[in-house]
Amino acid sequence: MSTHLGMATKRKAPGNRAETAAKKRRSPTRVSPALYLFPLPAVLVVAIFLVMPTLQAFQYAVTDWNGFSAAFNYVGVDNFVRAFTKDSLFTNALTNNLKFVLLVVIAQTVFSLLLALLLTKNSRGNVLLRALFFFPTILSSVSVAFIWKFIYDPNFGLANSLLGAVGLNGLQSSYLGDNNQALYWVAMTQVWFHAGQMMVVYIAGLQAIPQELYEAAEIDGANKWQQFKSITWPFVAPATSIVVAYTTVQSFKAFDLILGIAGNPPKSSLDILSTRIYSTFANSEFGYAAAQSIIFMAMIALVTWLQRRLLRLTPKGE
Amino acid sequence: MTQISRRQAIAVLGALGLGATVAACAGPGGSTAPGGSTGPAAPSSGDITGKVSFAHWRGEDKAVFDELIKRFVAKNSGVEVVQDISTSNDYNAQGLQKVRGGAIGDAFATFRGSQFTNFTEAGVYTELKNSKAVGNYQKSLLSAGQSGDSQSGLPYQIVFPMPMANVDLFDKAGAELAPKDWDAFLNMCEKLASSGVTPISWPGGDVGNGGQLFNCMIANNAPVDDMCVQIEQGKLKCTDDWFIEMLNQYKELAPFLQANATGTAVEPAQNLFSQGKAAMLATGSYHLAAVRNLGAKFPIELVFPNTSKDGNAKYEGVYNATFILGVNSASKHQAAAAAWIDFLSEPENAGYYANQTAQHVSVKDVDYTNADLKRLSPWLDKKTALAARFQFQNLDVRNAVEATATAVISGTSPQQAAEAAQKIVDERL
Repeated sequence: MSTHLGMATKRKAPGNRAETAAKKRRSPTRVSPALYLFPLPAVLVVAIFLVMPTLQAFQYAVTDWNGFSAAFNYVGVDNFVRAFTKDSLFTNALTNNLKFVLLVVIAQTVFSLLLALLLTKNSRGNVLLRALFFFPTILSSVSVAFIWKFIYDPNFGLANSLLGAVGLNGLQSSYLGDNNQALYWVAMTQVWFHAGQMMVVYIAGLQAIPQELYEAAEIDGANKWQQFKSITWPFVAPATSIVVAYTTVQSFKAFDLILGIAGNPPKSSLDILSTRIYSTFANSEFGYAAAQSIIFMAMIALVTWLQRRLLRLTPKGE
Repeated sequence: MTQISRRQAIAVLGALGLGATVAACAGPGGSTAPGGSTGPAAPSSGDITGKVSFAHWRGEDKAVFDELIKRFVAKNSGVEVVQDISTSNDYNAQGLQKVRGGAIGDAFATFRGSQFTNFTEAGVYTELKNSKAVGNYQKSLLSAGQSGDSQSGLPYQIVFPMPMANVDLFDKAGAELAPKDWDAFLNMCEKLASSGVTPISWPGGDVGNGGQLFNCMIANNAPVDDMCVQIEQGKLKCTDDWFIEMLNQYKELAPFLQANATGTAVEPAQNLFSQGKAAMLATGSYHLAAVRNLGAKFPIELVFPNTSKDGNAKYEGVYNATFILGVNSASKHQAAAAAWIDFLSEPENAGYYANQTAQHVSVKDVDYTNADLKRLSPWLDKKTALAARFQFQNLDVRNAVEATATAVISGTSPQQAAEAAQKIVDERL
């Protein structure tokens, strides 16, 4: 018996090993090495085209490399110090960019939410209007820039011609030629360009709100504003979070729109960080331009983080 | 089959990442072109074969170059020439990075000034001192392509960055085309304004084209010929009396410009001129073909805004020698590229280019048959200053200094505008 039992015990051992092996095969932590080859192309692409250039930017940022010479010097943090203390063109671009972001984020968020509220229902007219408002989004930024450059032209442009036609000659302006107004006009173009895209994000959020909530609110006697404040706004908070973050990044990087509308180099009233970095590169100051790029990257990260902290845009109940 | 754990997999990917990091830490400055100076001489002999890339920014000249390429290929059957054309702004900003590897731009052109300097410093040009082409050029015009003792490039075009004038409108207004001093120039503008036209169409919303007027305004105001070099070096200042005086003259010009001039792009400015609404276009002779294409039928002359007070001006006008042709030191088809440059520099071919594009060239013995070029040819023999704005090596400094004009025309006081520009210059000393 004991022998039998012993044999049984002995026979169990290989069974255990097989079970363990089977478990290991099933285990998510132990996979065939061939599987790891699949992400390799993607890893290489990211490493070569994203990680390496980013790391190189950090390295160049501490040099005075001019972009073509074999010789260069390490200058420590001088490029970063220069950007904030000895370069009024950079600080001007930074100020312009922050102003531009603020203008566009506020205007685009409000405008796209308003459009979405008006066009939420899937009626035929609304679908047509949505397509119309979304249309600018599919245009290239260069096309948009040229359209608006024509509109803003003070001599032959649509804006001044319309104002002249209705007798409002006093309101005719130089638009982009007026340093005090230029940034506002370009911000308006940016909102026109992207509001339709953000409207779609809001519509998706609005259509997910259960109708019963509005019906219950109506029974309770809530007016439209109260319904918006207590039901709509909390439910579209995640969409707002996406819209604000996306608009912020978009506004920081309005490079092609600015160059298209204002020419290269843009005048100082329209110079934003991305165009300033481009000018610095073109001026054969690669080291300094790399430092500006890092500041630019940090600025976007900081502003996005601050927005999330300050707005606390999370859906109700989360 | 051997199996690895997630930890091992992460280690492998981590090693790849580390490899990328190490690779990224290789020092900047790697290049296939030798840096530092003009490279060795372009070969004067060798097989004229292969595919030659010709990099430049003159999209408007593409058809003319295509015809010249056809003629060149007919003479040299084993060669092919393709044009690599960028917009002028892109070419100015990225031309060097594009060309220095040698894959693009076996033959190329550069702008006079900072771009030419950067190309020579990067060692992209080959020596053309003993090339067949160099003998075809007017000696006095070759300096724009020289770097030290080297003849790195050959300045192909001669342009006059001075206002173009609608002669019919001048005749109608009884205004003189060659004002002897500043008062005469203002008087001329008055007469044009009284006749019901805008005296000057100025693209103040376009930094590149709007800045051409600066060449005229500074030529006789500055105490030295290398004024922009000295401003950049801090030896002369924007706050100096002569510079403020120049800005005051800009202020006096303001009433004679089209309304909202600082917001006008170059195309609308050209339209105002070609439609006969403005008597002058303050850009330069390089826009001759463009305004003709826009329908301008009237005779065109050049007018120099003579800023002198007493009629004893040092210069009668300004010119620029640009489109500086060169052979790429990193090219694999140098013999063919050099042959292409030689071909372009032959008087017959240079003449074809000039007459078709309505631009003068610095090649000798060219027969100008284009009516506009014929009319403007006397300017080639006048006492003209080499356009000053291209002396600037730092584009931020150039833009800041030139922006003083736009600021003054917008209503800023000359002193304030000068101080703002000088601040930017000082930051870059």
